[in-house]
Order: sequence, then C-alpha cells, then structure tokens
Amino acid sequence: MSWAFSNASLLAHLTGQNAYLALVPVLVGLAVSLPLGVLCARFGWLYPPVLGLISVLYALPGLALFVVLIAYTGLSDTTVMIPMGVYSLAAIFPSVVDGLRSVPEPVRQAAVAMGFGTWRRLVMVELPIAVPVVIAGLRVAAVSSISLVSVGGLIGIGGLGYLFIDGEQRNFTTEIVVGIILIIILSLVTDTVLVLLRRVLTPWQRGRGRISRRADIRAELAARPAGM
Amino acid sequence: MITFERVTKRYPGGTIAVSELDLEIPTGQTTVLVGPSGCGKTTTLRMINRLIDPTSGRILLDGTDVQRTNPAQLRRGIGYVIQQAGLFPHRTVQDNIATVPMLTGWTKQKARARARELMDLVGLDAQMARRYPHQLSGGQQQRVGVARALAADPPVLLMDEPFSAVDPIVRATLQDELLRLQGELHKTVVLVTHDIEEAIKVGDQVAIFRPGGHLVQVDSPKRLLAVPADGYVEDFLGFDRGIRRLSFLPASSLDLDASALAGQQTSATAALAQARRAGAAWLLVIDAERLPLGWVTVSQLEAAPGETTLADVPLTSGHGHTFAVDTDSLRAALDATVLSSTGQAVGVDGDGRVVGLTSYDRLRAAIQQADEDARAEEVARGVGAAPDVGAAPAVEGAATS
Repeated sequence: MSWAFSNASLLAHLTGQNAYLALVPVLVGLAVSLPLGVLCARFGWLYPPVLGLISVLYALPGLALFVVLIAYTGLSDTTVMIPMGVYSLAAIFPSVVDGLRSVPEPVRQAAVAMGFGTWRRLVMVELPIAVPVVIAGLRVAAVSSISLVSVGGLIGIGGLGYLFIDGEQRNFTTEIVVGIILIIILSLVTDTVLVLLRRVLTPWQRGRGRISRRADIRAELAARPAGM
Repeated sequence: MITFERVTKRYPGGTIAVSELDLEIPTGQTTVLVGPSGCGKTTTLRMINRLIDPTSGRILLDGTDVQRTNPAQLRRGIGYVIQQAGLFPHRTVQDNIATVPMLTGWTKQKARARARELMDLVGLDAQMARRYPHQLSGGQQQRVGVARALAADPPVLLMDEPFSAVDPIVRATLQDELLRLQGELHKTVVLVTHDIEEAIKVGDQVAIFRPGGHLVQVDSPKRLLAVPADGYVEDFLGFDRGIRRLSFLPASSLDLDASALAGQQTSATAALAQARRAGAAWLLVIDAERLPLGWVTVSQLEAAPGETTLADVPLTSGHGHTFAVDTDSLRAALDATVLSSTGQAVGVDGDGRVVGLTSYDRLRAAIQQADEDARAEEVARGVGAAPDVGAAPAVEGAATS
C-alpha cells in the first residue's frame, strides 16, 4: 500500500493514459459503427459480409497487429489505439444493428404512416429506441478495451500494463496487484458512467417489467367502474 | 370521398392481393372493409396512404390521384391506427399524441396543448400525459393510438384492425367510443376488420371481400343482413343474421296491444270481462303511474271473489323484461318476448310507463311489414325484380350502390 502512495503520481499518470488509450478508440468505434450499422440494418444483405470482415479483424492477436502497425505508425499511441478501435468496432457494430432491429415493426410502420421521412424516422424514432442495446455493446467494448490496452505495455505504450511488465521484471508482486486493482476500478467507473448515461437517455425504460404489469392491472381496475 | 378505380395489386410472384377494385368511400362516414385473412382488405386500406402502391388503377382522394402526391405529405393528412397501437415506447403519452403536429411544425407548447385536448376527447385521464406507453393497459394504449391519429385533425382516418388486440369487454367499449367520436367528428373513417359483428356495429357502409381480393358486396349493414348478394356473403354474415337484422328495425314499428292492461283498482269481475273481450289468457296489472307490476291469469280472476280489486289478487309472475318502444330495436322486443313467461313482452316509454304489449304474432307482422318496405325500396332503387329476403340473388362483385 505504501508503495502505491509513494508512487501516486506515476499511477495517476498511467491510469489516465490507460483510459485515454482505451476509450478514444471506443468512441471512434462508435462513430464508425453508427453509419455502418444503419446501412446494414436498412440493407440486410450487407450485414453478413461486413460482420464477417469485422470478426476476422477481431480474431487477429493484438500483439501481431502491433508488430505490423509499428512499421507504419511507429511506437506511437496510434499503434495501440488502432487495434483497440477494431476490437471496439466488433463489439459495438452488431449492437447497433441489433438495436435498430429491436424497433418493433408496428412502431416502424406507425412512424412511416404518420409521415416521417427516412432520416427523421431514423433520428427521432429508431435510434432512440436502439439506445439501450447500443449502450450494452458500448459497455462490453469499453471494459474489454480498458483491460486489453495493457498488452501495449509490451511495446512500452500500455497505460497500466507498464506495471505488469515492470513488476514482473523486478519480481515485485505488489506492483502487479496494484495494476490489476486500478484496471478493475477504471472499468467499474467507466461502466457506471455508461449505465448512468443510459438511464438519462432512456427515461422510458424505467420500471419496465414487473412494475408495468402491476400498473396494467391497476389501470384496468381503475378504469372498469368508470365504465371503460 | 375516396374512390378506387379498377385498382389491382399484384405482388412479385403473382399473388393477387386486390383484384380490379371499384369502390367509393363517402366523406364523413364510416366504411368497414371486412373479410377473412388474405382477402386484400388491409392491402386496400394501405393503398390509401401509399404504404402500398397499386399495380394498376387509380385511387382518388377528393379527386386527386394519391400516386401524384408526396407520400410523407399525404400521410400527415391521414390518421392511421393499427392493431397494437404502435406507440413510440420512448415518448410520453402527450408526446406520442403530439407527433404529427410537431412534424408539421407546431411549437412544442401548442402541440402538447392539442394533445391534452385529444386525451380528453378519447377519454384518457390528464394524469396520464407524462406516462410512457408501457405503463398503460392495452385499451388505454389503443385510445392513445386513436388520439395520435386525430391530432392534426385529418379529414381521413384509417384503422387497421384497431380493436382486435384487446379483450372483448374493452373492445366493445372502444367500439362504442368510436361511434361516439364519429358522431362528433364526422371523419371519413375506413376500418379494416375480420369481425363481421364489429363491421355491422360501427359501419355506415360495409364492404365484404372474398379471398383473392374480390369485393363481393358493399351496402349498409341493414341491407347487407336483409339482402346478402350471394351464398358467400350469407355464410360470412353468420347463422343468425335474421335475428341480428332485427337490430336495425325499430321497436316503434310494432303495433302494440293495450287491451290486456288493467289498473290495480280494477275489480276482478271487470278484469275478467276485459280479458274475455280481449281474448287474452293473461292481463298485465299496472299501477296508477302505468308502471308494470305483473301478470294475472284468467283462471285466477275466475277464482277471485268479484268485489276484490286486482291489488288484492296475488300476481302469478313478474312483468319480466321490458323494452323501450322509442329507442330499442325489434331485436330487444323479440328478446323480451322470448324471455317472458307469457309469450308477451312489455313495451315502455322513456319513463318506464307501459305503452302496450307485443307477442310473436305482432313481431312477425312488424317484420313482414319491414320486408315489404324493403322490397318497395328495392323497386324504387331500380334494381329490378326485388329479391326475396333470405334468397341469394347473383349481384356478383358489384359496388351497385
């Protein structure tokens, strides 16, 4: 513990770097997934080949990607962030497509029949309804990216991954344990932020399920004597 | 007025959903499209707001070919209600209702004020304005669906099986509500259903479709029940169309019998004489207000001492169900007669006072009279030889009306 306190500024720096290296690619992955997902949801035939391609990229080992990328981007943050972005894409893209497909057919139909154009329907109806599923994908992407970034420690750009390499070389277990704990904390904080974001974006999801069935029964009972 | 001119919808693969449809849907009335699944009724409905485009033929909305309009513009002027309501789960009740006004550029405030108005119109509590659809019951959701369709005050309202996803009790209430709303709003309503009872209840005009997209008959419910165009329509109407048809004949057409009514103060002797004069086996005893009390038999009167009044004679049975002469139909009168222990039913006025009695013979006479009137009307329409009620004339596939 005392080691952690005496190295607080190093740990803070590494945590910040880890968050940066992990989460910027997640945002980029989201930015790419949205238009790609919208296209694949609209043109169903596009989805299998695009998903296949992304899955192949996802299957590439991170270390191998680093080696290939160093030739182009050198020992820079970008070298670590590109694989993270690819992994994020693999988690977020299917969730965008699933989210858009989760829009109930009657809802879509009603939107068309009320005179929503394609674009407005997407922005005002389909994407808002897809939010919970998309955020579920985002959570998986963010948490796995935070822990995967540590592999970058092997090429000297790994955020908290540095602690694993250093701890192993110096045979100093405390350092490794502190690294693991910080990664877990960073993941939990990020995940909590995303859960809160979902709550804010989807007030309509609150109290679905059990409570709504109760509300149904209450509503029916309240309505009957009044001559529903 | 919505006019279908030789409209055909053929899907790739050759399935014909709608075949050579000619149909006129009058403004301000409710037209019901009814038939079994696969008869093209929903396709017909969806061609009006261009959710589906016809393969050939024209659909005119107040004289304008809908194919020449911008679909989004067209749709904002046509309310649309579907089976599962199709409410936006992410929007509150008031924002669901305000959707089309917002799309057409109203301010949020004005659109929400309009939404509150509509909630009141369709019988939704104002407290529900901020709820989300999943917090409502099925019936309430459907009301929101109707309110949303009416929000921009469109002249045309399309309803695709609007009540088939709710339970029968709620369905009946929603049908009544639709009738009430339509009485206030006079929209051009086109409603699709597979339920002939619903069609007959809510329709001013009913169009019956046959599988393959053929229109078989378009008529008022009353005429449909009286003169089905063919055996298909007759089967579709169900086994008791004769009885159901009586719903459209007023009880006021009955020639009621007042000769077997006796006041409470009448003596047994006088009552007996009255019963013999009337040739009645039963007399209905009424009080000073002419409210019905119950029945006495001739044999009871014969046994009673001459000077006793009817007030002292024990009644054999209660008066049974009554029917309101001015507001009920022959169906209600028949029902009351069937339920009556004396084979006679009591017709009352709005205050429950006895007007007279009916019997099977009198019901039959009223029905025969209605049939004769209907035949005379047929002749006046120039249809030619008036078909017998219950027969199956071959008026095939025609919007003859």
